[in-house]
Amino acid sequence: MRETVLGDVVRAFLGTLLAVLVYSLAGAGGPALLVVFNAFSVVVLYFSVRRGEVFGAILGTMCGLAQDAFSLGVFGVAGLTKTLLGFWTGYISRRIDVVPFGRNALFLLVMAVLEMLLWVLLTAIIRLKAVNLQGGIIFVQPLVTAVLASTLFALERRFEARNSRGA
Amino acid sequence: MFFWQRRPSVVVLAGLVVFHALLISLQVPQGAEKSVFERGIFFVYSPVQRLAAATVRGIGSLWHSYFDLRGVRRENQKLKRENFFLNQDIRFLEDRLGLAGSEAELRASLAGFEGTLVAARVIGVDSANPHQSIIIDKGSFDGVAKDMAVCDRTGALVGRTIAPVGLKETMVQLVTDKDSSVSVRSVVAGLTGAMTGRSTAVCELRYVLASLEGGEVGEELRTTGFDKIYPAGIRVGVIQSLEKDEASPIFRRIIVKPYFGFDRLDVVAVLTKGPGGGG
Repeated sequence: MRETVLGDVVRAFLGTLLAVLVYSLAGAGGPALLVVFNAFSVVVLYFSVRRGEVFGAILGTMCGLAQDAFSLGVFGVAGLTKTLLGFWTGYISRRIDVVPFGRNALFLLVMAVLEMLLWVLLTAIIRLKAVNLQGGIIFVQPLVTAVLASTLFALERRFEARNSRGA
Repeated sequence: MFFWQRRPSVVVLAGLVVFHALLISLQVPQGAEKSVFERGIFFVYSPVQRLAAATVRGIGSLWHSYFDLRGVRRENQKLKRENFFLNQDIRFLEDRLGLAGSEAELRASLAGFEGTLVAARVIGVDSANPHQSIIIDKGSFDGVAKDMAVCDRTGALVGRTIAPVGLKETMVQLVTDKDSSVSVRSVVAGLTGAMTGRSTAVCELRYVLASLEGGEVGEELRTTGFDKIYPAGIRVGVIQSLEKDEASPIFRRIIVKPYFGFDRLDVVAVLTKGPGGGG
């Protein structure tokens, strides 16, 4: 158990570095990109489906806290929401079939929407102020995030299929 | 067999949820002050952000250098012409300043501005809302500290440095952040108030009494220096609209359009010797 968790922590740290890199590249591309998709959520969704709930929860914590560190929001809110996102994504994906593209995209969309709602709710409760919804554009974020994550799975499957044909 | 041996994943989740609940609760007594843990995370990951920004910039400059070379002669002539007019402006300003005081006072005044600017590149924007904060590639190694004014390349106010200030990276709170407040005055009517952000592209000028006359759309706002953070006289933005505030009949509702924009926010200047510098 200890070895597994320790190994997961190291892998989650590398996953978080990847998420920070993707977020930074998106920010360099244009600040508007950061509103329409969440690089940290994409990484958490992808690796949670691949590696399960424990890894998802640890990665969610690390990615969420990294996201909080690069924002003026309440430190820990994104950490908590992404921990729950990672855990439940990993947990549910082990119990239902999320391999087909359509089902995969729908599942990730539901999880991304739930994460967004929880984040908005927690931020509003803790700060006692209305959350700035960027004129509603922020609600596009779960959709784009889910599409990007499911596209990663589709590309991975295509890559694996090509490799198996070549071998 | 104990519960945590049967369901280790639930124990991990419960532990992490309690950890976050404590983390959020511990911020209440700290207020806006960043915890050591939060600063630590910023220090660990901000070099990655610097690397990504440098990579994107490098690729961009390679792409543009060819096109830049094609128009370099025309641009050189344009710059020479602009330089001529800028020199004229400087002489004019020096003459005007000379009228105001003795030469010794003038020299002392001009010397006070030497070495007060630190040029920095923007390497990141706020992960939750771009209108809240940015991250620059200068830190305590470069003389940057908390509560220093930050301007864009045209000299318009962008915001102020806040914690965490890393060795080579610093977070900047933008004037458009909803927790930001800047003391400003309109240049014509002299309307004085606190400009606060709304975490959108525009700001609000607050605490201007409804009984005060004057002020019009397009009128420029400059810092007053009353807040002891931003030096007086920095251009901030223009009035976008003025109307009666239905919610509060005592004050006017004035919307301000800041001068700075994300399209020109690649390079900024940190004013290291302002009233808030070194705080």
